[in-house]
Amino acid sequence: MFTPAFGHANRAQRLASILTIAFMVVLFFMMMRTWSTYRWRRWFFVALGLLFPVGFIHQVMVMRGSMGIPIEEMIAGRTPFCFIPIPLLILPAALTKTVVFPGSILPHGGMSGGGMASMAAIWLAITIVVGKGWCSYACFFGGIEEGMASVPSKAKVRKIDLRWRYGPWAVLLAMVLLSLALFEPAYCMWLCPFKAVSEYIAARNTVGMIQNGIFILLFAALVIALPLLTKKRTQCAFFCPFGAFQSIFNKTSVFDVKIDTTRCTPCVLCQKSCPTMALTDESIARGETLMSCMKCGACVDACPKDAAVWHIRGTEVTARPERARLMFLYAAWAMAIMFGGSIIAEGLATILHVFV
Amino acid sequence: MKTLAAKLGYAGAGLTVFAAVLTPFVLYGLFTKGIAHLGLHVDEIYSGGPKIRTVQAAGYTIDIHRQVSPHFFQTEKPFVQLDWRPVSALPAHVSDLVDIDGDGAPDVHVSFDVPKDSKAPLRVDVESLNRRYEAMQNVGKPKYSSLIVRVDDAILVRIPITSTR
Repeated sequence: MFTPAFGHANRAQRLASILTIAFMVVLFFMMMRTWSTYRWRRWFFVALGLLFPVGFIHQVMVMRGSMGIPIEEMIAGRTPFCFIPIPLLILPAALTKTVVFPGSILPHGGMSGGGMASMAAIWLAITIVVGKGWCSYACFFGGIEEGMASVPSKAKVRKIDLRWRYGPWAVLLAMVLLSLALFEPAYCMWLCPFKAVSEYIAARNTVGMIQNGIFILLFAALVIALPLLTKKRTQCAFFCPFGAFQSIFNKTSVFDVKIDTTRCTPCVLCQKSCPTMALTDESIARGETLMSCMKCGACVDACPKDAAVWHIRGTEVTARPERARLMFLYAAWAMAIMFGGSIIAEGLATILHVFV
Repeated sequence: MKTLAAKLGYAGAGLTVFAAVLTPFVLYGLFTKGIAHLGLHVDEIYSGGPKIRTVQAAGYTIDIHRQVSPHFFQTEKPFVQLDWRPVSALPAHVSDLVDIDGDGAPDVHVSFDVPKDSKAPLRVDVESLNRRYEAMQNVGKPKYSSLIVRVDDAILVRIPITSTR
């Protein structure tokens, strides 16, 4: 969707596209061959998380020479739009038809990309298909912390208060209300940890310096340090308002993960393996995941009794889970290739451009 | 009932896979068009509001935008935006009397230097000839409501408004 047409691409871009397609095909093949989902999806997701900043930062440096967004670019409507502010823009847009983001609805040159309408369309399409699976197959930020969480062999911090799971909802509520009251994308202005690896507000004054300090601190804590200590995706599990918003769409998705209680022992290996704490003792007893499940497949891979299974709504838990898995993966991987694949290719092309 | 639910489930799953395949060819474009046609507009604090009048000066024009008022608890003051364009036709020093409200009497006297280097910082002085508009002295770009910036082929000046009519 984003990479230039193959015919117009330079050598680095062509090579990057070929390598990305091969990478995605091999991963899918391995998923099918080994019946393991999480393990192979993680390669894709970490690659996405690491290569997005490479491609993006390169692009902003070429276009404007700085990672800081100057006020001129905001006034011109050329601030790149990512998906995270989407829930924050809904109320002001519904009440006043105003988008409280300094971008443009349609493409407007520079870093405006395809415009806000285009990003919203991608979000809508992927959400219809995979629900909160967005957080495992499309989010170009989550891969960094998933990579960090996979570094240590064992978690140093194992006891985490389950009440932290309400963090994203609290942040979502606060940011939605604040965005409506202040008529600005409050999360982007004050709390987004990923500003540290994408672009930040050009610090024109003390307030700007404080904002940038918060971005860096949150990134260091939630995306680097805590995943290393807990082996969890802490930013996603305890902080991300978009993740909380996306949980709502798990209720509309036809695919989910269930626990077959007739097979479950319960050893709680699924609970331990879940990167976002979407399984509790109670939910396992009920045979389901919480609505914050992002369908990464970690619990399904971890279960020694094959009790954690992919499932299609309306069907029996025991009814052909492999069919449910296949249908989900065809849909999710198609989206992953189209959206994440193009981002991986762009990041890869940036690196290859140095050598080719 | 269970069989019907299962059939609906499989049908939904099949449609989802179909939607995933259709996305880049049909759905993406369809959704983009749909969202673009919702009639949404970017907050005028950023965009500066729609242009209402153009004043012809010596070889260049001054676009006058509609007054922008902040929403709810926005911390910016109401302001009016003036665009000098094209930059290439502007003299090294601009000093213009501008009638913003169109009543025939000048409301502000705006003066600024136009450096040849497009990335050089800009500073503006605004003398208020109408109490409605705030004076500004040697202002760069501290706030959305009081600034001077260069955007593409125009120099934009935003003048805060002290009171609304």
